[in-house]
Amino acid sequence: MKTKKSIWIAMLLLTGVLMAIGATRSGSPLTQQDRIDSLTSYLACPTCSGESVFVSRAPAAQAIRTEVARQVGAGLRSDDEIISYIEQRFGGQVLLVPRATGLDSLVWSLPVAALIIAISLLVGAFARWSRNKPGAPSAQDEKLVEQALAEVSNKQSEG
Amino acid sequence: MFSKNLVKVVSGVVAFVLVLLLWVLIISKPSDGQVARSPLLGQPAPSIVASTIDNQPFVLERRKGSWVVLNFFNSTCVPCINEHPLLVDFANREFEISNGAELYTVVNDDSDIAVREFFSKNGGSWTKLKDDNGAIAVAFGVARVPETWIIDPNGLVRLRVTGELSEGLLEAQLDKLREEFTS
Repeated sequence: MKTKKSIWIAMLLLTGVLMAIGATRSGSPLTQQDRIDSLTSYLACPTCSGESVFVSRAPAAQAIRTEVARQVGAGLRSDDEIISYIEQRFGGQVLLVPRATGLDSLVWSLPVAALIIAISLLVGAFARWSRNKPGAPSAQDEKLVEQALAEVSNKQSEG
Repeated sequence: MFSKNLVKVVSGVVAFVLVLLLWVLIISKPSDGQVARSPLLGQPAPSIVASTIDNQPFVLERRKGSWVVLNFFNSTCVPCINEHPLLVDFANREFEISNGAELYTVVNDDSDIAVREFFSKNGGSWTKLKDDNGAIAVAFGVARVPETWIIDPNGLVRLRVTGELSEGLLEAQLDKLREEFTS
């Protein structure tokens, strides 16, 4: 039992460490084309449904791709600034991945909050059920069983 | 007892969210015909350095002091073709008044030859700007043509009209803006 618990704790710790590494590590230096591909894959084509600017061949997507490439080539703006430039012109719907600030942050925080609430409720329910588990039979229960068994054996002997 | 309270709390939260959504729907401003919102409204117009289809240079900043109307256009787009007579009327009206607006067509994803043919057939002697790489369209956030934008003499974006123009809309909106922003 104790070993099982330690395995679970170790797994949780490992998951936490890996997630922290994944969230904080900086990748190898991107080439300009990598940056363009990465930025355009975060942007939705404004005239298509569900396609990224990276994938789409629509003229509007091509124009955005060209503009992103121009800004990356100029080297004057960071990735965030380029995304903001496009967002300011086409609106928030051009972002395929919602921002983690303002009202958009609800998209990220609500599922986590719902998960935490659901897990807490489940833990509470399991605890309640385990508390209400029937214990050893009382003397009264044993007496009732004995009576019932006696009645059955009487009926069998009469039959 | 606990689950009964939980049901009440959850239903209360759901009801609150629904009422909130309804309230947002009620108070949100309906769009005024084809007049559309844009984060650029009230902001300085994006810098445009382009060339005309006759290979003349064009710099939007140099048009300060005049009302500027930009019409994003493609000769194969049906709404663009439909609204063209209205733009011709608008250009004629503005040409006749003293502080008339300058109308420019921004050619979107179209060939110079097709544009020249279209204008020689349908009229319209105003300047046509090339936007071969779509930089002007992206700078204004134009995804579909036609779109029409009005920029005031101070270089601030004042109006965005998406889709096909209706009769008199551009004139009425420009007159309103002139009253509001001409000191």
